[in-house]
Parts: sequence; structure tokens; C-alpha cells
Amino acid sequence: MNWNWFYRMGSPRWFYETTSRWLPWLGALTFILLVGGLVWGLAFAPQDAKQGNSFRIIYLHVPASFLALAGYFLMAAAGAIGLIWKMKLSYMVMKCAAPLGAVLTFLALFTGAVWGKPTWGSYWVWDARVTSMLILLFLYLGVLALEYAFNSKDVGNKASAILALVGTVNIPIIYKSVDWWFTLHQPATITFTQAPSMHPDMFQPLLVMILGFYCFYAVALILSVRVEILARERKTSWVRERVKQAAQNSLGATL
Amino acid sequence: MKFQFDNFSHLLNMDGHGAYVWAAVAVTVLLMTWLIINPLLQRRDVFEEIAREVSREQLRQDASREGA
Repeated sequence: MNWNWFYRMGSPRWFYETTSRWLPWLGALTFILLVGGLVWGLAFAPQDAKQGNSFRIIYLHVPASFLALAGYFLMAAAGAIGLIWKMKLSYMVMKCAAPLGAVLTFLALFTGAVWGKPTWGSYWVWDARVTSMLILLFLYLGVLALEYAFNSKDVGNKASAILALVGTVNIPIIYKSVDWWFTLHQPATITFTQAPSMHPDMFQPLLVMILGFYCFYAVALILSVRVEILARERKTSWVRERVKQAAQNSLGATL
Repeated sequence: MKFQFDNFSHLLNMDGHGAYVWAAVAVTVLLMTWLIINPLLQRRDVFEEIAREVSREQLRQDASREGA
């Protein structure tokens, strides 16, 4: 079997140059999906019969929570690949995924809190889902902190990757928390096995927002991995060539 | 598909839920914008740093050539 593609994927230069071509398109798509989905959800989707307009927070809360969880899988997988194949790029992805995931988890908790106040009567409850999401936030912060806790970059990477892998135990707990413990948080609206328990007029903008958040995650992650690549490959001729081009063409500095 | 509110102030107020909904929107937009802006600013800094390194090396090379 030809493994060239796998090694090429591990090449920071290949990653940088490929994403240079993708980014403008992906960025435009992300912007359209997010703005379109948000306007649709906030102003045009019908209001909920029980919750009224506060339900519109779903268009931020659910996508942010999705990506907080998916992002953790990605971070742990990148850590595992780094541990097994010692791929530089893979550790860079892990390192950049940690703050990104932490922000998304915080957003899931924050939007949940302002949704909880009008719906449950409280900003915060020690509900199983909410608590396991808070643990997810601490896991992200732990991975982030461990990365910088060692003098050796290599040791920091390995320690972070191991914490990320151990922390994946929490992910199925978060998914299942609404079924295992009947506390306040409502069960999943969207599942793979059943039709969504939501009217299509409400569900369609949510789907757009989820897609938009996935694209956003990709854009934000790619942007910070690229910075990481530039900083670590600063001595190489291809990076210096880029810097020279950017200096000649001031517009180039933005892309 | 129909616009759900009578006018702009109704959209802001959202029958009393406006403060919650718009707070969620504001914080989300702010943080997501920061997630995009921050790497772009860092990238600019790294570019400038590398450009300085390159010119410093250039100067050192020129100096050693003159010295010889």
C-alpha cells in the first residue's frame, strides 16, 4: 500500500500551501452559513409554543455544544496520532484545538445559562449535562496548561496528548447524561436514529447553523495551525520566501 | 417563511426574552470574532519577527564580508 499521502499530510509545508488555496472559499462559506442561519433562526423561525422567543438561543447553544464535543474528539485523535507516529503537525493541531474547544465549551455553557434563566428559573443548575460540560471545559484548560508546564516541548506535547486521551471518557458521559440521569436538561433533539423532534421550520435553520459552526471550526483551527507552522518552520527557505513576498506586497500579509 | 416580529423594537424585546437572546448572540459573536482575529494578528507578528531575523542575518553576513 502506498502511504505517501499520509506522510505528505504530515508535512507542515504541504498543509500550509493547501490551506492557502482553501481558506478564502471556506471563509466565505462559513460567513454565509453563519449570517444566513442566524438571521433565519432569530427572526424568521416560528417561536416555540412553550418557551416563546428564548428558545431561539438554541441556534447558538446546540451548534456550540456540538463543536465543543467534536473538537475534543479531534484534539484527542490528533494527540494519539502524535504519540504513535511522532508527527509534528499532529501535535500542532492538538495544541491549537485546545483553546478553540475551551472557548466553544464556554459558549455552550454561557448560552445555556442565559437560556436557563427564563426557562428553568436559574442561570446555573448542577444538572448532569451541565456539570459534565463544565468538566469538559476543565479538561480543555488542563490540556492547554499541561502543554506549557514543561521546559521541553516534546514532554509537554506527550503529557497533553495523554490527558486528552484519558479525558475522552467524559465524552460518552456527556452524550448519555440526559438519558442516564433525568435531571433538568432536555434529551437530545437531534439523533441519528430518529427524525428530529422539532418542526422543520425550526430545524432547518438549526441545521444551517450547525454546518456553519463546523466550517467555522475548520477555519479557526486552520488559521492558528498556520501560525504555529510559520513560527516553528521559521528557518526554512519556503517560509522565508513567503515572508519576502509579503514584505514586497503588503496585501499579502493579510492572507 | 415569515418575519416573526411586528417591528424592530419588537425584535429587540422579543416579548421580554430579548435580553437573554441578545446577550447570547453578543457574547458568541464577540468570542468567535476573536477566534478569527487573534491568529491573524499573531500571524502578522510572526511575519514581522521573521523579516527582522532575516535582515539581521543579512547585516551580519555583510559585516563579516567587509571585515574579511
